[in-house]
Amino acid sequence: MNRLECSYSTTMPVLRAVGFFALVAIAFLLPRLLGGTAIAYSTLTTIAIFAVMCYGVDIVLSYLGEVSLGHTLFWAAGGYAAANLSVKYGLNGWSTALATMAICITAATFLGVVTLRTREFVFSLVTYAAAVVAYEIAFNWDAIGGSDGVVGISALKLPFGFAIYSGSTQQDLWPVAFILLLITLGFIARFRRSRLGTTALMVQMNPALATSLGINPRKVRLAVFVISAPITGLAGWLYAYQRAYVGPDMFETYFLVMMLTAVVLVGRRILLGPLIGTGILIVQQNLFSLGGDWNKIILGSVLAIVLIFWPAGLIGLFGRFRKNTVAVRAGRLTKAR
Amino acid sequence: MNIAQQIVNGLVLGSGYACIALGWTILLGVARLVNFAHGQLYMLGAFVTWYAMTKAGLPYPLAIVVAIVTLAALGAVMQSAMLGLVMAQNLTSLMIVTLGLGYVLQGGSAVVFGGNPQTLPGTLSRAKVDLGSLWFTWQDVLVLAATLLLYSAVWLFTKRTRFGSVIRAVAEDPKLAELFGINAKVVYLLVFVFECSAVALGAALVAPRSPILTSMGFNEVIMTFVVVVLGGIGSIGGALVAGLGLGMFIAFFGAFIAQAYTTAAAFAVLLALLVIRPAGLATK
Repeated sequence: MNRLECSYSTTMPVLRAVGFFALVAIAFLLPRLLGGTAIAYSTLTTIAIFAVMCYGVDIVLSYLGEVSLGHTLFWAAGGYAAANLSVKYGLNGWSTALATMAICITAATFLGVVTLRTREFVFSLVTYAAAVVAYEIAFNWDAIGGSDGVVGISALKLPFGFAIYSGSTQQDLWPVAFILLLITLGFIARFRRSRLGTTALMVQMNPALATSLGINPRKVRLAVFVISAPITGLAGWLYAYQRAYVGPDMFETYFLVMMLTAVVLVGRRILLGPLIGTGILIVQQNLFSLGGDWNKIILGSVLAIVLIFWPAGLIGLFGRFRKNTVAVRAGRLTKAR
Repeated sequence: MNIAQQIVNGLVLGSGYACIALGWTILLGVARLVNFAHGQLYMLGAFVTWYAMTKAGLPYPLAIVVAIVTLAALGAVMQSAMLGLVMAQNLTSLMIVTLGLGYVLQGGSAVVFGGNPQTLPGTLSRAKVDLGSLWFTWQDVLVLAATLLLYSAVWLFTKRTRFGSVIRAVAEDPKLAELFGINAKVVYLLVFVFECSAVALGAALVAPRSPILTSMGFNEVIMTFVVVVLGGIGSIGGALVAGLGLGMFIAFFGAFIAQAYTTAAAFAVLLALLVIRPAGLATK
């Protein structure tokens, strides 16, 4: 629990603000610091997009303690909204983003209301099934792309009144991905302190207490699920522009396993956890890839091994290691005496 | 006459759904565990059967035995790894772990068996039976007979034997059951091994009907979900009825409305039922 109350030193707000902005600036310049190559830009843009995707699952898994297996549905909804609306109607980035959020909130509300009175695993099962069904529909419905998907998505255009920001290359997309990631992080940080966030945590940690305080755990689940959907959706929205192609492969289990692994790898309920987890996994897949099938084995194994052996993630492992060395040192001290 | 043929098709499809869902029903009903690797286990069962027949040259009945033994061993390994989570009743982590292990199975099978679609050779699945204008294959007859036999055997076993009540005692309260001298870990292990062998048998029987792919697990599992939830979670007789009913529904939906959207239709049925009778389904 005290990990949640981040131990900032509140005595030096100016120093803290300076440190914060310095960190953000360094993070923004990171692709340039890594050589400014196309690979640096595309890898970091992908990490930012995938991290945002994972934060949607993070809210549900870390703070509510339930498993949504349907977030690939929102991810693909974002991609399909961006692709279809921009290719067929020539809409700009703002409109497609708004449409993405509307679609995701509608779909999540529908699924959440339907499963409102069911047990946890039925919720997971229905969300999983929803993603499979959405895949089937996307694969067969030619009006939204069918099995071929939508090809040739034009560059992301974000008009600001006086000028239009156009993200045609990876380098141009990086600022958009970076800002989307920052907004997401800000939202998650705000959520952790919000009434809903603390209530969700109470429902997870002590359901009896929550119920006795008049909280309906299932309504909390619905609310958390609904606000988590557009986060993953917006990641899919940007992914469509990055890849310039959207197809039924956006429903692949890969994305689902990726989201869950990135969330549990570093440790749940840690603000930057999913971002670091995504970074580690994407670097492995892009730069140290062993081929598609072996990458699957690695990703799935990491997910299973972390949950079985180190449920608290890498942070917990580090903590245990530190505790051990402290204990060893203490042991030596007592021996020396 | 088309309607009569669709009824036959429904029975054929439905007995297949029920056959594959049996393991999950037992796992969920009597042990209260969930296994999201079920679809991948089905895929693996089919591929082991295929490998034993085409590469090792074994006859069909022996290949089925090989598939059952292989998956039982795999199930024992999986459950041993997850035993800590099972004993702690950590359902959230268990769901994710089984999903991760399923993904490993999918990747591993692609490495071992290759990425191409395969078909199980079978003389039974080509032996057509013609009754007037109706037709089905001997494989379909085998699936239906095996399903009915398996369900009655399992029903008798859980309801009428001491071991059946032991399993249910463990499901209710593992800690309390241990106080009465029951080794809960062994019970969980056995139930999971049974789940894996049952799905291997189901795969070996059902898979000859259609081409098999290492990536098919993700989609195949959805019918199992629908059968298990529709049947009233964990009810053995319910799962059989739900399986046959769903098969019937899918056969008619596919024939008269849209073949491409049968999974979506099954899902719509599931959602409708969850809205109408959530309590009846949630509590057994």
